[in-house]
Amino acid sequence: MKKLIKNPHLHFIFLGLLLMIVPKLAEMGLFKVSYVTTLGGTFILAIAALGLNILLGFSGLVSLGTAGFMGLAAYLSAYFTVDLGLSFELSLILAVVIPTIVGILVGLVSLKIEGIYLAIATLAVSEILRKTFEEFDFFTGGFSGKTASYPTLLGTYELDRAGMYYFVVAVLIIVMLITYNMMNGRLGRALNAMRGSEAASQAMGVNLLNHRLIAFALATMYASIAGVLYVHFIKYSYPSIWTLKLSLDFLAMIVIGGLRSIYGTLLGAFIVFAVPDLFLKQIPFFSEMSYVLNGVLIILVIIFYPNGLINMFADIKRLFNKLSKGEGK
Amino acid sequence: MENLNGLVLKVDALSIAFGGLKAVDNLSFDIKENEVFGLIGPNGAGKTTAFNCITQFYKPNSGTLLFKGRDEQVHDLQKKKVHEIIKLGLVRTFQNVELIRELSVIDNVLIGAHVDFISTIIDQAFRLPRARREEKALRKEALRILGVLGIEDRALLPAGGQPYGVLKKVEFARALMSNPRLIILDEPAAGLNDSETIELAKLIRKLRDELGCSILLVEHDMRLVMDVCDRICAISFGKFLAVGTPKEIKENRDVQIAYLGIEVEANA
Amino acid sequence: MSTFIQVILRSLETGSIYALAALSIIIIFRTSNIVNFSQGAVGMFNTFVVTYLFNTMGINIWLAALGGIVSSILLGIVIDLVIIRHTKKVHPEAKQIITLGMMMIVLGIAPILFGVDPLRLPKMIETGNLSVLGADISYNGLFNIFFGLLVMGGLFFILQKTKIGLAVRSTASNEYTAKLMGVPTKTVTMGAWAVAGALGVISGIMTAPMTSVTLHILDDVQLNALIAVVLGGFQTFYGPVVGAYIIGVGRNLLLFYGSSVWGGQILYILILLFLVFRPHGLFGKKIVKKV
Repeated sequence: MKKLIKNPHLHFIFLGLLLMIVPKLAEMGLFKVSYVTTLGGTFILAIAALGLNILLGFSGLVSLGTAGFMGLAAYLSAYFTVDLGLSFELSLILAVVIPTIVGILVGLVSLKIEGIYLAIATLAVSEILRKTFEEFDFFTGGFSGKTASYPTLLGTYELDRAGMYYFVVAVLIIVMLITYNMMNGRLGRALNAMRGSEAASQAMGVNLLNHRLIAFALATMYASIAGVLYVHFIKYSYPSIWTLKLSLDFLAMIVIGGLRSIYGTLLGAFIVFAVPDLFLKQIPFFSEMSYVLNGVLIILVIIFYPNGLINMFADIKRLFNKLSKGEGK
Repeated sequence: MENLNGLVLKVDALSIAFGGLKAVDNLSFDIKENEVFGLIGPNGAGKTTAFNCITQFYKPNSGTLLFKGRDEQVHDLQKKKVHEIIKLGLVRTFQNVELIRELSVIDNVLIGAHVDFISTIIDQAFRLPRARREEKALRKEALRILGVLGIEDRALLPAGGQPYGVLKKVEFARALMSNPRLIILDEPAAGLNDSETIELAKLIRKLRDELGCSILLVEHDMRLVMDVCDRICAISFGKFLAVGTPKEIKENRDVQIAYLGIEVEANA
Repeated sequence: MSTFIQVILRSLETGSIYALAALSIIIIFRTSNIVNFSQGAVGMFNTFVVTYLFNTMGINIWLAALGGIVSSILLGIVIDLVIIRHTKKVHPEAKQIITLGMMMIVLGIAPILFGVDPLRLPKMIETGNLSVLGADISYNGLFNIFFGLLVMGGLFFILQKTKIGLAVRSTASNEYTAKLMGVPTKTVTMGAWAVAGALGVISGIMTAPMTSVTLHILDDVQLNALIAVVLGGFQTFYGPVVGAYIIGVGRNLLLFYGSSVWGGQILYILILLFLVFRPHGLFGKKIVKKV
């Protein structure tokens, strides 16, 4: 029994079940219905952020193209389902595979050298993608944007807002589980070793270029999955969504929440995206300041609390234990 | 290809220069199976450069490097990339212990088995039976090796907080995890105190006798080298001086001149 | 032929803007070991200061520009004192992220202080054209080209020939040793942030008349400057400057003779491909790491 309680996989599944209650609470009138959209959106962004956390947290590489790749996948899926009439499943696969291939090509060019080249190359790529979103009218609808609808699963189950929310939570939990497995296995150890010492990891047989590529491909893949979910949950896509600003938000999420931490990523997504939307909106000054606050938080966390806010829980617990022990004496 | 009769490594006429300066100049030596071989020389003699050439961190300008791998085949090391070396059965340790502080001791050791995994990323992502079995077996092996080194009780602790002596052993364990034919130890006695150095000497002999692998010891500490090595190669300014048993090396005039201060002390 | 010369002259103008920004980035990289992604945003902020001084306070454009340079120097010093100085123990990758955080702060504060409407900033020299071999260039364009060269020439002179320059170069090659040798590395770093800030606002003032002053006025300049640094290599001060002029010329030629929409994008792809063959840039060398 104790083993079951400690099983990390069950924790993820339990979290998923907990998150699935939200639409029910909204139906009962305990929550505003719009909260379902906000939370679903947060989870979608968390998926992309998890990919970036593999890249930055584990392998120490920065990508500024997260939003660009996410947008590419969103447009592709909208185009495949609406214009070409493909099934949701097929379009999901294509809209994830195509950006991932683009990502691997970019990685092949930039990852051979120092890590910082990836940041600059992805910045250039996101600029190219932004231009593509604006100019390729037939595919993206240009500035007026592109709409998509809630998906129909397996050709029979038509999802509504709540249904799509459940689907998003399910995907989030699966992605978290997969990430947990990979990062606690051979791949995670190799990426950790690489970040610690390139020379030592090479001596242990880690092919640097391959593993950097894998990390970047995973980051692109996660961003693409998030892009597809986004366009079928929010149901539209504009060029102005997929900017550098959003890519920076992803960085903020993982740095603030906690590098290398799966739960930290979710916490970070909540702080960066949901908190301004749910709470700060009501306070006029703060809603304008949320971007500034994120910037300040990034800097403060990096300098003073490098493992991220997720560690607060452990630190508070430790402090509490210490205090209660002190009283016991 | 040449048949390395009874040898694991044959270094022939190895040379490398950095901007005109010959760091290693026409160096030749060979290491037999089941042998502890010392590579010594004063500071800046090119010891580290020499073994960085062997492990392909540097690409030598000329010379041949032949190695008899785990697969009993003879390999030309220069045709391999840095990360392919360990798979042949040639592994090294680092002078300033290169471990990952955040990971547990056993996870650090498991990195040594990186190239031995058969299960794919997909197997691992979904924890398919193949991946689980493999991870379990390799974990068991890692624990066994930690046991041989007497630190299995620390397996689950983070590497970050361990004392230096333990970290050195963890790095040993990581090297052993790859089931090597030849281990290159880069100044393993650096930073150890006397009793730890004696323990290290015991350990090196144990590795040779029990695991049947050869050891190339690159070292400053003369007592350790003289104590454990079967044969020693002395170099100075990148050039070969002499090779022989510890006794022969001690008595070699060229070596004495190159070493002077140190050698007088060791004789005394 | 005259259109070709026209294109080249334009390119030299944009080239100087990119070059100033690229020099700003490489100065920070060499002295603080940070790729400063906030370069464009901070330059944008100070360009708003100039616009505010000129439009709202009605100050003469030259004095307003001077005011912007002063504010950029002050802001650079503040950034060093408040943030950069406390990042000595921070991982190099995390330092880049700190500059991204700085970028977010500036992008968030600017609209609160200066509003969200696009503003106009005129040329330094309002009117006048010069004809060169049948091609026209405005006096302002010429001024930008020569002023850019003058600023860069001055900086290179200081770097190569003066004691201050020696201090900067020794800090750049090895901060720790420089410190031991008595170089005031803290002052050098602070000065670098101040100079980098000034270069940023100059590139902003030069860009402003071609477009309007918005939050994103320097996005393009910043991206081109970063790519110029990659193209020229991270190891020299002059490499990025040369890279910037190559990008300025290449981009305009592609825009004019290739595709007016995709010219810039095509250039980025060409440069990425170039890096496959020369990964360390035009003037960079592979550094053999000691293991």
